[in-house]
Amino acid sequence: MPTYKAPLRDVRFVLNELFDVAELASLPGHEEHTPDLIEAVLEEGARICENELFPLNQPGDEEGCRFENGVVYTPKGFKEAYRTFREGGWTGLSADPAYGGQGLPNTVQFVMEEFTSSANLSFGMYPGLSHGAYNALYRWGTQELRDLYLPRLVDGTWSGTMCLTEAHCGTDLGLIRTRAVPAEDGSYRITGTKIFISAGEHDLTENIVHLVLARLPDAPAGTKGISLFVVPKFLPGPDGALGPRNGAFCGSIEHKMGIKASSTCVMNFEDATGWLVGEPHKGMRAMFTMMNAARLGVAMQGLGLGEVSYQNAVAYARDRLQGRSLSGAKAPDRPADPIIVHPDVRKNLLTMKACNEGARALAAWIGLSIDRAEKHPDPAIRQEAEDLVALMTPILKAYFTDHGFAAANLGVQVHGGHGYIREYGMEQFVRDARIAQIYEGANGIQALDLVGRKLPQDMGRLLRRFFHPVSAYIEERMEQDAMAEFGLPLMRAFGKLQQATALIAQKGLKDPDEAAAASTDYLRFFALVALGYMWARMAETAQARLAAGTGEAGFYETKVKTARFYFAKLLPETEALFRTIVAGAKPLMALEADAF
Amino acid sequence: MEIKSAAVIGSGVMGSGIAAHIANAGIPVLLLDIVPDTAKAAGGDRSGLARGAVDRMLKADPAPFMHKRNARLVTPGNLEDDIARLGEVDWIVEAVVEDQAVKAALYRRVDAVRKPGSAVSSNTSTIPLANLVAGQSEAFARDFMITHFFNPPRYMRLLELVAGERTRPDALAAIERFADMRLGKGVVRCKDRPGFIANRIGTFWIQSAVNGAMDLGLSVEEADAVVGRPMGIPKTGVFGLIDLVGLDLMPHVARSLLATLPPDDAYRGLYRDPELFRRMIAEGYTGRKGKGGFYRLNTEGGAKVKEAIDLSTGRYRRSDKPKLASVDAAKAGLRVLVEHEDKGGRYARRVLFQTLAYAASLVPEIADDPASVDRAMRLGYNWKYGPFELIDQLGTEWFAEALEAEGHAVPALLRKAAGRPFYRVEDGRLQCLEAGGAYADLARPEGVLLLSDVKRRSKPVAKNGSAALWDIGDGVLCLEFTSKMNALDTDILGLCQQALGLVGDGSGEWRALVIHNEADNFTVGANLGLALFAVNVALWPQIDQMVQMGQETYAALKYAPFPVVAAPSGMALGGGCEMLLHCAHVQAHAETYVGLVEVGVGLIPGWGGCKEMLLRHTADGKRPGGPMPPIAAAFETISTAKVAKSAAEAKDLKYLRESDGITMNRDRLLADAKARALALAEGYRPPEPAELRLPGPTAKVALDLAVEGFRATGKATSHDVVVAGALAEVLSGADTDVTRSLTEDDMLALERERFMRLIRHPATIARIEHMLATGKPLRN
Repeated sequence: MPTYKAPLRDVRFVLNELFDVAELASLPGHEEHTPDLIEAVLEEGARICENELFPLNQPGDEEGCRFENGVVYTPKGFKEAYRTFREGGWTGLSADPAYGGQGLPNTVQFVMEEFTSSANLSFGMYPGLSHGAYNALYRWGTQELRDLYLPRLVDGTWSGTMCLTEAHCGTDLGLIRTRAVPAEDGSYRITGTKIFISAGEHDLTENIVHLVLARLPDAPAGTKGISLFVVPKFLPGPDGALGPRNGAFCGSIEHKMGIKASSTCVMNFEDATGWLVGEPHKGMRAMFTMMNAARLGVAMQGLGLGEVSYQNAVAYARDRLQGRSLSGAKAPDRPADPIIVHPDVRKNLLTMKACNEGARALAAWIGLSIDRAEKHPDPAIRQEAEDLVALMTPILKAYFTDHGFAAANLGVQVHGGHGYIREYGMEQFVRDARIAQIYEGANGIQALDLVGRKLPQDMGRLLRRFFHPVSAYIEERMEQDAMAEFGLPLMRAFGKLQQATALIAQKGLKDPDEAAAASTDYLRFFALVALGYMWARMAETAQARLAAGTGEAGFYETKVKTARFYFAKLLPETEALFRTIVAGAKPLMALEADAF
Repeated sequence: MEIKSAAVIGSGVMGSGIAAHIANAGIPVLLLDIVPDTAKAAGGDRSGLARGAVDRMLKADPAPFMHKRNARLVTPGNLEDDIARLGEVDWIVEAVVEDQAVKAALYRRVDAVRKPGSAVSSNTSTIPLANLVAGQSEAFARDFMITHFFNPPRYMRLLELVAGERTRPDALAAIERFADMRLGKGVVRCKDRPGFIANRIGTFWIQSAVNGAMDLGLSVEEADAVVGRPMGIPKTGVFGLIDLVGLDLMPHVARSLLATLPPDDAYRGLYRDPELFRRMIAEGYTGRKGKGGFYRLNTEGGAKVKEAIDLSTGRYRRSDKPKLASVDAAKAGLRVLVEHEDKGGRYARRVLFQTLAYAASLVPEIADDPASVDRAMRLGYNWKYGPFELIDQLGTEWFAEALEAEGHAVPALLRKAAGRPFYRVEDGRLQCLEAGGAYADLARPEGVLLLSDVKRRSKPVAKNGSAALWDIGDGVLCLEFTSKMNALDTDILGLCQQALGLVGDGSGEWRALVIHNEADNFTVGANLGLALFAVNVALWPQIDQMVQMGQETYAALKYAPFPVVAAPSGMALGGGCEMLLHCAHVQAHAETYVGLVEVGVGLIPGWGGCKEMLLRHTADGKRPGGPMPPIAAAFETISTAKVAKSAAEAKDLKYLRESDGITMNRDRLLADAKARALALAEGYRPPEPAELRLPGPTAKVALDLAVEGFRATGKATSHDVVVAGALAEVLSGADTDVTRSLTEDDMLALERERFMRLIRHPATIARIEHMLATGKPLRN
């Protein structure tokens, strides 16, 4: 049986020591959200994840969702856990207090998403999608729609979905066929079939609010002709009381590799009543409001699975006695040494640990930036923060989820044959982690977003929000001998990243295939440097604490040692990536399609 | 016959503008007009009309004078007291009201006093020459011609020259030579036909474009978007152009054409006088000089709102950025535009078909060859391509078939082309199909050397993505910029260095280097977009290297053992200006606009511009003693980003030296530069390296005080103070004092260091971003 403890100490380190979460309390609307309060909230969140959600993870995977006569039943215990979750106010954690939300910073929501993903990814899908629907309606809905739907999405009595994909179109939403016809009363009649709809039908809430992309009769072709509609399962009265059943039906659920307790539905809209959200034909823009937040949410799923895999791998490696250390017995009084003595096992564990902690730090930087972008009184700072978030969103989504899957695999590896059987729960993490690399824009698409959209935007303005602080940091640290250990390799990798960036911009201008060919390598390169920046700063913070002698020496020494591992063993991957980037598109494009 | 003095009669917009431009050529000119009634009665200034015109021109923008002192060459006078003085001049230009009787009477008075053999010309745009000389003396008729200038005379390059049957060929040649070499005009000889070439076709095109827009239901913005850029026509299109020249002018032009055109001319069938236009004229909505035109800037309520007239209702509405698929598609070629199915495509097809067929039908009626027609439209209407070049883009065969398919007559000349293009390149020579159906070389006058001709007949000596080197003969190498907008980049610097290497010590195959190109602008400076990307990615060492590379390249230009001659035209800004500062000689087109504009983007000149300006001011013997005056002068020029509005003004600002040459005619610029380079190559010796003694901090304090003053009065912004501070440090030599001498390298190191400091400043980055986004400087 796997175990899980939310990494509260590390979160505290990142929020309070590496960064200064207290800055949030200076933002309008967050005056009360002091570090103490945030810590208390996260402790409570950790408790519910550890005690309520995690125990349901393995049985939920075993049982899966059940589809009978158009009704979807979630696994045993989910309903009760959801009630507890909802009553604890977790469905409205960062939602606007005007609609009953807690109004907490996104930074907190972000951390909580990591915890829930570690504890029970399938469960997290339900409130996660509600949060996306909340965002879209909050930003684009009419006052009437907001007043009707938001309080119920916030208190979790209703849940939400995002209905984008159709059988013939996933990435290319311009091909959507679902139709919306205006009705006389100002509503619309929606007809069409959507697939892969997470939380499309389930038994956790009394109503389900679908946000559906569809075409109006006069819509232009392509993505510029798509509109967004809100389509509830039950048509609510003005007071929110549930009325007649709407024509939104679940046709079947998918049988999947992982997240089996999350219902993935075929949704049939049969002349269903819906209301326009945002302007006609501007649905993609409205959708991206959900999508950007959702992509960061998925990034946290990757981190969550990396964390829980790591915890269980470490426990097993300490526990599992097998053979002897090559350099002499480390536990001579026992029949064999624990496998944690072996360099390769350590490499697996440290890889997981260093990426988890680096990613957590990076997520905190971006989380704080989201709050700044939303609430900071200075428009220039809001713009800077927004730019940084926009730039880093594809990087977090793709890199964190790649890491989540890789870490889950390493977790299996450390367990050996026991990782491959169900009992230890490790193989479930692999299966669950796999989807995060695919949905909300496959990781290849994220890389294209990075090189095709984010990189060239306004002659690289978005890049400045990352490159300038890192460049300034390196310049300052290079003058201090103590930091040269981390500053030097960071400087080298950063310099290569600068070169690669200029190269892609230059080559991509002439031939978009060149930029595309470099995109996934470049995204990973970027992520490794970003983590390197985080690790240099974390090591510096830890060294300062050690020098000040504030206690917890073990924790800080581990930080410094993990940083050393990162710089020595993981960051050098950038050198290979640089070479593959420089190699260009030609090796990829040389083969005729029928020569494959 | 040489023109050493001139007179212009009529001090209206055209007359006074012609007088100013003759003065720009350094020729004294008498400007005469009638004595105003008010002056007759009250004993006021009897030459008030001409004098007032000169005064107005001194304030006008764009300026008719290339330099304010040129106004002194214009002597205002009146037709009563000063008519006898016409006997002193070699050339008399008449630019009075378009009234045959008025002109005839004037000519008789002129003929009575003028010097025998002096040339007389009329600037008429509508009255046939034959009518003008009717009843005049034989001598007058022999000395008379039409010189039709375009407005404004300084800037529009076309001069239509029309000779009568009796006009003396030598008089004609003298005026042609003068107009070409001294006034810098592109002279096109025209036949004595109504509207000559440019207005004949231009007026037809305007009417066709107006009719088409109304018939096919295009908004004025849509129409201008189609009959503008996609056709190589200025972006004002048709309605924007009418606003510029004045809607009220249109009926006059139309009336005179209708009165004189042949009875079967196609313009007659096209002509319309829309009710809306009559109303607009009556109410004063005649364009930019009136209350507004087809476009206006509505400033009611404080905000500036661009509005356009709705052609169907006649009311102003908010102006929209037009969106037409055909306009986007037109990037793929003119054929794609006219074959596009949207209304923009249908409109383009109609206007182009009508206009091009009309133009083709007029050769040899109005001009001997298609090339003259094309040249007139390029120089007179600023079209990028003339009608026959446009037909070549469509394909003569395709166009003839398309005309036929739509039931239009196919012009004889187009039939004669029989599928062959109007232009072809034969053995590296550009040839044009003449009216007779045979190709002939395009003749270039003596003393005209065009880089485009060189390029047509040879391969580059070397080239890269942003520049090329050409052999322009006699051992002279020409460096041409080919980058987008001619922006300077490391490729250009690299090829510059390669050129220096090729010429070596100047004793081998190559003797001199000329830097020249035929784009609208010589260069507007370093590639700012590239720089911004490098800044955004924090590529500081690379930026520093590029600054250093520029410094080294320019220093190498300066100290090359052979002469480097720059031949700029149009804008030479920033790094382009710095390049000129380092050349042994600059042969500038008169219309060269030079400036060190770096402060506009929060920077200072970093490629030796600060140093060179300081050296030039220091070397100025006329200046009062002490180290401070040259520093202050260079500081003022650079810190205010002064841009010279002509080559003559550039000399005042010391962007050009007194010894630098000015060429009035662009087509002659390269030949002049090459001749100058060859002359300098004889016994050439590079300059001696300079040393500077600068006061250091004391000078900086003085300059800072001045800047603080501007800051206090709101003339300088907070970042202006930062940028000016860096400039002051460079020009004062930073932490030096007068006992120490600084080398040029010391100064370059200082420039570079301060440049690098500024380019990292967030306010500088904001300025660069703003400039790239809006084309205007940010005042932060």
